[in-house]
Amino acid sequence: MPYSMTRWNNGLDEVEQVSADITDETNALPARYFTDPAVHEMEKEKVFGRYWVYAGHANCIPEAGDYFTRTIGDREIIVLRNHDGDIQAFYNVCAHRGSAIVEETPMTDPDNARRIQCPYHLWTYDLDGDLASTPRSFEEARLNPDLNDEDVPDLDAEENSLMEVHSDRIGPFVFVNFADDPMSLAEQAGKLKSELESLPLAEYELAQRIVSEVECNWKVFGGNYSECDHCQANHQDWVTDLELLDSELEVNDYHWVLHYKHREDVDDEMRIHDEHEAQFHYFWPNFTVNMYGTADGYGTYIIDPIDEERFQLVADYYFKDPELTDEEERFIRTSRQLQEEDFELVERQQRGLTSGAIAQAQLGPNEHTVHKLHRLAQTAYEA
Amino acid sequence: MPNHTHHTHHSQPAPFVATCPDCEIERSSESATELVAFYRRHHGHTGHDIVVTRADLEFGAALDAADGVAAVVDGLDARYGVDKHDSTESGTAGVPIGIVVAAMSERGFTVGETLEEIADVRMTGALYEPRDDHLAAF
Repeated sequence: MPYSMTRWNNGLDEVEQVSADITDETNALPARYFTDPAVHEMEKEKVFGRYWVYAGHANCIPEAGDYFTRTIGDREIIVLRNHDGDIQAFYNVCAHRGSAIVEETPMTDPDNARRIQCPYHLWTYDLDGDLASTPRSFEEARLNPDLNDEDVPDLDAEENSLMEVHSDRIGPFVFVNFADDPMSLAEQAGKLKSELESLPLAEYELAQRIVSEVECNWKVFGGNYSECDHCQANHQDWVTDLELLDSELEVNDYHWVLHYKHREDVDDEMRIHDEHEAQFHYFWPNFTVNMYGTADGYGTYIIDPIDEERFQLVADYYFKDPELTDEEERFIRTSRQLQEEDFELVERQQRGLTSGAIAQAQLGPNEHTVHKLHRLAQTAYEA
Repeated sequence: MPNHTHHTHHSQPAPFVATCPDCEIERSSESATELVAFYRRHHGHTGHDIVVTRADLEFGAALDAADGVAAVVDGLDARYGVDKHDSTESGTAGVPIGIVVAAMSERGFTVGETLEEIADVRMTGALYEPRDDHLAAF
């Protein structure tokens, strides 16, 4: 077995693409992909513009007309429930002259509208996106001496609808995709779809959202989430109840799972899945489902980039009742402790990457989940 | 490069600190304007308001505590609005919005309340932006 060698920025070493073979020394994404502003801009299109990205939770918009907004990269969308009870997503952009229509409306504080109306010139859209009405000034030409009213073309409702964004669901989780002709969500999700749909996720309500800003590239945190080699040394309180050596890291095409066995079994009421373990699902590019196995509920993370060296961790916690019990608050506090411990680690790693010494790091043999993350990023960049 | 810092990286306290009372998340920065950016990002995901808990203002104490936002901007302009490199022909480059937010926090306003107040007063014509996120009084 040849020895592995880190590639330094020393004028001698060269970086290479992420090797498909994890035993190769070039098994990690070159460091500049974690520090370069141009990469951040590129990812808006090549990552967040082409893959299925989590938009929000269907239970937050239960009634027709309920909606929230979400910004992904530079794209701002409206996610709403239509009169048929289906969820659709549209660009938050008026078909008239391109104005943003509704104000920023987070999922935690959704709004309701009978119709979507642009405040600029009052073009109004039905909940299915079709243009419902325009003011009379768009139907006649009384201010324009060069036109007669009969010269004014009719505005077709469908041809002038809001621009729809592909959307689909896994249980209550709503995903969107900005590509013209994307692969299906089912294809990207693989077995994640059947696994999550076998669980009663829709029976749980959003009880708490905590958003933290962290000073590292989003992929640094994604990599940290995806392995637990760091847990023994850095999450000492949490790992006392786990059998880390019995853990399994399962890797699929766009999704990987960390299974952590509990040292002493937990009541069935404290898990929403059958296996006696904690399950952490990472779904490329930036969504996770966290089932700790010690609470009757689940959590999700959105790892939302701000720029090349900062991201927001949007942590949502779901329980049967949105009013938290004392026990559930303690559970969230434990989760927060894990986050803070991880934030310290990932900010430390970003400082090292930003210093410019390293050109291409290397991954260990049990960091195959991180390897998958890096391989997917490279594939996206090359597409 | 983004202008921001984090408390874990610096032994000296940052001059500007803000917190979300709902999330108990704190943000520190060398730049008051970064706290406004923090508010906008955080509010966008949560709807939560942000409170400035520390603001080292060079000129804030000289202002009248009863001043409204337009008077605060006017009072800060002599110190913060003069920028020889960026100033416009009218003589002011405007007060950074973060400085206004910090000064208003000493009057009990949250970040969201100050931004709302600024928007309301701008609509009366009494405030304008000589450049983005900088305010001047008319």
